Amino acid sequence: MSRTSIVALVLFVAGLGYLLSLGVGGTRKLQSSVYQYIAPFLSSGAGLQKQITSVRSNLKSLDDLQAENSSLRLENRSLKATNQALLGVEHEVNRLRHALNYRERAVFKLVPAEVITRDSSTWWRTVTVNRGKQDGIDSDMPVVTDEGLVGKTTTVSANITIVLLVSDENCRVAANVEGTREQGIVTGERVTGGVTPLLNLNFLSKQANLQPGQKAYTSGVGGVFPPGLLLGTVKEFRVRELDGQAQLTPAVDLTKLEDVFVVVGRK
Amino acid sequence: MIFFCVLMVLVFVAQIAEFFIPPLDWMSNAHVYITPVLVFYGAMALPLPLMLVLVFWAGFLLDALTAQVIGGRVEISFGSSILLYAVLAGIMHGLRPLFARGRWEVHCIMSGVCTSALLLGQYLMLSFRRGSIFFSREVWWQIGGPGLLAMIMAPLVFWALHWLARATAYPYLPRRGLI
Repeated sequence: MSRTSIVALVLFVAGLGYLLSLGVGGTRKLQSSVYQYIAPFLSSGAGLQKQITSVRSNLKSLDDLQAENSSLRLENRSLKATNQALLGVEHEVNRLRHALNYRERAVFKLVPAEVITRDSSTWWRTVTVNRGKQDGIDSDMPVVTDEGLVGKTTTVSANITIVLLVSDENCRVAANVEGTREQGIVTGERVTGGVTPLLNLNFLSKQANLQPGQKAYTSGVGGVFPPGLLLGTVKEFRVRELDGQAQLTPAVDLTKLEDVFVVVGRK
Repeated sequence: MIFFCVLMVLVFVAQIAEFFIPPLDWMSNAHVYITPVLVFYGAMALPLPLMLVLVFWAGFLLDALTAQVIGGRVEISFGSSILLYAVLAGIMHGLRPLFARGRWEVHCIMSGVCTSALLLGQYLMLSFRRGSIFFSREVWWQIGGPGLLAMIMAPLVFWALHWLARATAYPYLPRRGLI
């Protein structure tokens, strides 16, 4: 072995040893620095991917466009009618609230974010969003859409954040089921073969007898996720040796995420 | 040296590109990995010191972009991908004489095997960390699928890199004609 090879080998082992000895803090810091540097590449890549996808999806035939147009016109008329009705209701609610001196309900402070990459590795279910520390985001913050819970933030750099999806085995969420006193822990699966990942609601009582269609919400236990966020609907319930387990269909289509909100606090 | 720099840039580009390639649902959501095919070509084409630099770079990027810190612990230690790459690239480096004789099929087969071995290594580490291990049909697809895809891609990558090596006047080339 040449002298250069020996020197290279020694340097390699030293570098490797240093990286292997990094703790949680060191790893997070290093990861967030790397993400900061590659953020422009990821953003450009996401933009390019969006352009390509939009070109492909915009190529529709005239018949398709006509059908879509008439369907949208119909939907527009229906929404206008609903809106008119709701305006009246809104006015009435405001009047009553004012009359009762009702306090504004606590709502979340949300930071909107765009998903730029998804499922970058085989063993973890994650997405990357284009917001970071500069926008007040920190690790372990819930991420939601208007449909329900998406996951929580893990590594945060200046302007990019990794979100661990609720479908990951490591994302554990305390949950309860509507119409029952059942409480359990929702986790994802380590490996999913199907197109739509499913969630498992574990540690239920054997007598829970949950029915398909029942909704599961976050219970707020644990402190990371606020209570009342929709997790999914029960697909099936089975009794195991020690407990009951329900399989849930996630409320949010995690394979088609585009825009999400990071819950950075309460208003 | 130019060829080595080109390989380093290509590894970076491939690692970024992998972010935008969706998993294949017809293959039980198997991912497409381009970087290992490039790294394993480098392992056969480059001398040991440069191979080590390439392996370190590829493993560093893989860990930096995919390793997860969850609940106050690192799932797979930063640097473990470098170690896995180093072991597998070391095996490939040992087959350098065959590569020098222009045996492209060695790179093709070994790229597939080593890509799957890399994923298997990650899965074993992760399972050890999580305290349970199982091998379902889906798990095998997640490990074997990328290997199969790497085997399919390897001849194309081999041809493209061979062309690049010639274009940059890299001296270490297969003696016999390509493919």
